[in-house]
Amino acid sequence: MALHKYWKTMMMMATSYIGDSPLFLLDYLLRFLRVVVLLAIWRLILVHDASISMSLEEVLTYTLIAEVFSAQLAVRTRLDLMFWEGSIIGKMLQPLGLFRQFTAEMCGKWLFEGALFSLPLLLCSPLLGVDPRPANLAAFGLFVISLLLAISVGLALDFIFNALLVIYALPLWAISQIRSAVITLLSGAMIPLALLPESVGNALAWLPFASMASAPLQLYVGTGEPISLIGLQIGWSIVLWPLAHWLWYISRERMLSYGG
Amino acid sequence: MEANRTSKPTLRRVLQLWGLYARMDFLMIISDLRLGLIFYFCDAILNIALVTGMLLLAERFVNIGMWSYGQIVFMMGYATTANGIVNLFGSYNVGFISRRIGRGQFDHSLVQPLPIWLVLLSEGFMPFSSSAIFIPGIALLIWGLSQMTMTITFGWVVLLLVNLMASAAITLAFSFLWGSLAFWAPRSAEEVSTSAMNFLTQLKVFPLDGLGPILLTSLMTVIPVGFVAWFPSRALLGLEESSLGLWVTPLVAIVLSALAGFVFIKGMQHYGRTGSQHYRGFGHRG
Repeated sequence: MALHKYWKTMMMMATSYIGDSPLFLLDYLLRFLRVVVLLAIWRLILVHDASISMSLEEVLTYTLIAEVFSAQLAVRTRLDLMFWEGSIIGKMLQPLGLFRQFTAEMCGKWLFEGALFSLPLLLCSPLLGVDPRPANLAAFGLFVISLLLAISVGLALDFIFNALLVIYALPLWAISQIRSAVITLLSGAMIPLALLPESVGNALAWLPFASMASAPLQLYVGTGEPISLIGLQIGWSIVLWPLAHWLWYISRERMLSYGG
Repeated sequence: MEANRTSKPTLRRVLQLWGLYARMDFLMIISDLRLGLIFYFCDAILNIALVTGMLLLAERFVNIGMWSYGQIVFMMGYATTANGIVNLFGSYNVGFISRRIGRGQFDHSLVQPLPIWLVLLSEGFMPFSSSAIFIPGIALLIWGLSQMTMTITFGWVVLLLVNLMASAAITLAFSFLWGSLAFWAPRSAEEVSTSAMNFLTQLKVFPLDGLGPILLTSLMTVIPVGFVAWFPSRALLGLEESSLGLWVTPLVAIVLSALAGFVFIKGMQHYGRTGSQHYRGFGHRG
């Protein structure tokens, strides 16, 4: 019963998505094209290269699964948008926890996206010449655990970024765009860290961004070391969540909303 | 007002307006220096981040298909510089024209005592802000060229500039082509230019050599992302078999601009009959 209200919030978000964003199909088309182009590039540059720790097939599966779970691997609530619109005020008046409200809304969007984009993309994978299956059953189990931890790290980072927007009164759109671009690059969601220059890839692997995407994807294709990857994700969750709570605690009174 | 709108604009007037908007751009940055610098560096970081992935791949693999390291750096520089030109002329939502139309802000341009094409050519001019994209773009172009043993002639530099302008024109024309939809559907198409620009921004950094013929044709026609950086870079670096390739991008720019202009004028004619929902009693977002 306690979860019922969050379930309702989630479903409202899922069903309102078409009305709020009628151009969502264009965005899905763009993402589909991006996957196809990336797959072609990997086939072009990896076909004769034996110097990397991933095979071509593993990289192709990695790329496809990264797009199938892109929403979970680059977690974003609508918190920044609500600052902009001013609707954050209404959210704060509702008898629901703020973090949990936004999390429920985010999950509602996932339902919609999963049905209209992720699942069809997964079904199309044979047409793209990609084997979407995990390395083995154990790898899939580890992937699920790691994915949940990736969502945890991503959500904590999202709340931290948004708290920083409030504390330093930063321009929303500039920060939002830069955040998307930088996280996509640093998390290994678009380009596996193993394909970057070794020193760069090794350094990025320690950052929390890698715990958002690279860790679960490596486990899925069976190229990652489970204990160190999951251990690092747990470590970042333990560090980031208290930080997110503390930043929100000190920034609540400073919040300015643009719309309203 | 009508007399002014129909009077012949001179080059001097265009330069005057660019000077005016350049001054406003500079004043905007220094009026709140902290905010101005945040925007400036955000723009620079965003555009560098877009090409960094491909640069790192080139660094690791030395060659990407037929592209050498220096050629990939050149292509990233070309993509960034072309985007700088788009930002130079297309800021203040001129490049995202569907927002202006959908929000009713296009009326602000229509009441200016200038021809509408001159308003659109001058209002988005932001030379200081867009330098955050230009400077890294030009640096990448020079860095890429320094990695190659190519003879740079005056004629080649002219062709580079022509192709860069053409790529920027293709980007803006594509945005206007889609953005014109907002004349007919202001609410639902308000952000259509954003989606159109995202197509080009996200896919422009990839060399498209490995794509199949159907997809490649689509990315050169329906979504002309191939002309934003890949094809003109190939032609300029001599990777195209025919030297005629150097003129393909400018030709496509002319055709696409004419098409975008035609659709935009049709949209304006429709707008002239219906006006903006923004000023109705129930409001634009109602």
